Amino acid sequence: MSEISIIAASTVTAADLPLARLGQRFGRLDQQSQLALLAVASLNVNFDELAGDRIGICLAASAGSLSTDVNFWNGRDRVGGPSPTLFAYTLPSAAVGEVAIHFRLTGPNLCFVGDDQVILPEAADLLRRGGAEACVCIFCEVVTPECGRVISAPPVAAAHALFLKNRGEGIRTLREFDRDMKALCALIFQTKSAG
Amino acid sequence: MREPEVVIAGCGVISAVGCGVEPLRAALQNNASGLRAAEKFSAPRFQSNIAGAAPRNPDIDDPAWFLAAEALRQARAAAGQILAAVPAGKTGLVLSTTKANIEALERIAAGRPCSESARRHLRADLLAADLAADHGARGPVQTVSVACVSGLVAISQAARLIRRGAAEAVLVIGVDCLSDFVVSGFTALKALDPQGCRPFDRDRCGLSPGEAGAAVVLVRADRMPQSAVTVRAFGGSNDANHLTGPSRDGSGLALAIRAALTAAKISPSEIDYIHAHGTGTGYNDAMESLALKTIFGEACLPVSGAKGMLGHTLGAAGVVETIACVLAMENNFLPGTPRLSLAAEGTPPGLVREPRTVARLKNVLKLNTGFGGMNGALILSHV
Amino acid sequence: MQISTHELKSKIIESLKLQDITPEQIDDDAPLFGTGLGLDSIDALELVVLLEKEYGIVIKDIEEGRPAFRSVRTLADFIAAKRPQ
Repeated sequence: MSEISIIAASTVTAADLPLARLGQRFGRLDQQSQLALLAVASLNVNFDELAGDRIGICLAASAGSLSTDVNFWNGRDRVGGPSPTLFAYTLPSAAVGEVAIHFRLTGPNLCFVGDDQVILPEAADLLRRGGAEACVCIFCEVVTPECGRVISAPPVAAAHALFLKNRGEGIRTLREFDRDMKALCALIFQTKSAG
Repeated sequence: MREPEVVIAGCGVISAVGCGVEPLRAALQNNASGLRAAEKFSAPRFQSNIAGAAPRNPDIDDPAWFLAAEALRQARAAAGQILAAVPAGKTGLVLSTTKANIEALERIAAGRPCSESARRHLRADLLAADLAADHGARGPVQTVSVACVSGLVAISQAARLIRRGAAEAVLVIGVDCLSDFVVSGFTALKALDPQGCRPFDRDRCGLSPGEAGAAVVLVRADRMPQSAVTVRAFGGSNDANHLTGPSRDGSGLALAIRAALTAAKISPSEIDYIHAHGTGTGYNDAMESLALKTIFGEACLPVSGAKGMLGHTLGAAGVVETIACVLAMENNFLPGTPRLSLAAEGTPPGLVREPRTVARLKNVLKLNTGFGGMNGALILSHV
Repeated sequence: MQISTHELKSKIIESLKLQDITPEQIDDDAPLFGTGLGLDSIDALELVVLLEKEYGIVIKDIEEGRPAFRSVRTLADFIAAKRPQ
């Protein structure tokens, strides 16, 4: 079985967003897309070293796009109608689209609703079967206070990113039973800070 | 080690043309449309009231659950003993949806009554977990949400789970409901055709929303004694161009088709029929036509689309349209393109207007594209 | 009644959530779409919402608004001409 390397990892929260400088249109993105994009930018990876169509994106969103859904629906009765921009972000895959657009990544995409356990095995499968050479993995946890009241969940706003590559020089090899992407990102991030 | 083949052992559907696979087959062979005017989506709040509404149970305030469970019940019944013979722990479930039970948000916001189940199923992953628990799937469960490509990605994911040995059977369910939420959103995007969608028509000017529950049971081929349609290969790509608009030149979709052909190890000339995404928006249909021209040149390959029949069922679209392909392959016919009158300039030369019988469809290509620039191409084979 | 282009620019910046740009940095005659401010089709729809919300102007067909969306100046002129008195 060919080796897959973890090249870089990052974790960002809402507190990091005001410092983000990711173009004039960053403000238009919903919070989940902003966090996902910032997490991927924080990987500090030069994606241009690979062909854009050989880089996949695999994302999971713990609460889908429900925070933006609630936001969109709260604006339904305003004069002029609800926001067309917000509607475009009422899909968890909007964050995948924004990452693809920003970094010009035209490879295959996967997007799930739920916890982070599905991301690494599916990204590894994509790489092993040759569907891509590298994969940007993203786990988004976004629940606004308004959304939290609807689904009885505590508010959260964070994103974790990991870059996987077939046979690359990296931090370490991806192991068969690596599932906890969030914990892995935190661990690598800590090690990096300590070093 | 060679990976096993994956076949379709059963289908189930509830859509604008009725409850069951038979009404869908009849509608496909008669070029019927299930699009109707719906009172609740009247002007001025909504851009169009034409929609593809499925039969619903008025006693259940959880339409996503109702449509998904009904489709799943049919598909499991169709797969019968073949599915029953697979251990529960080796039976997985993949749900494809964009909005799950979004109607619950409308109820909660308006202070209307909302059952615990309806509220719970606002979360797509919980809807998947409850469907799995209720339908004997104790194997891997995934919830796919890749906009309007979700259905094809879900089928591809299910096939992957079987190929790499994580499951021997996987229940794939696509579901999305007609809701104020979605119709308001498409109204805000000015994306609806006031007269109802007319895919590939010269006068097309938007899509029509629809709803459906659609399910397919995939099994490892050695579990299926008789010949069946094979899930051959999937290719995906991203335009990396614009969040809601498709690329103008079709290069992204062409990339996905090429990836699928490569994975299936077949050449473009071996494709016998293409079931298009065909939403009826100006940009989508033009882009799709260009992508097909890029891959297939001027070849007069049969192409048609079902959204004039069912509306755009979002997360269910890829699954219900795959079922349409399976019905065409099993019954040797080419579906037509309902609600098409005058084909637009530049549309594929082989555009099928009216259904017709054919000798045999060996390889079929199913396409979908979605917001976020996603493209998907699925190849089905029938040997 | 003519409206101030400065006020209109502020409203555009707020409505489209443009970052790191002030009204002073937007030229009255610079193209809004494509080059210039680099707005796209979703922004155009958001501007349609802005016109209704702030100025009571309803645009049914996006094509109808297209010439008005060329620049801040053409948009200000359009609002002045269409605004209900």
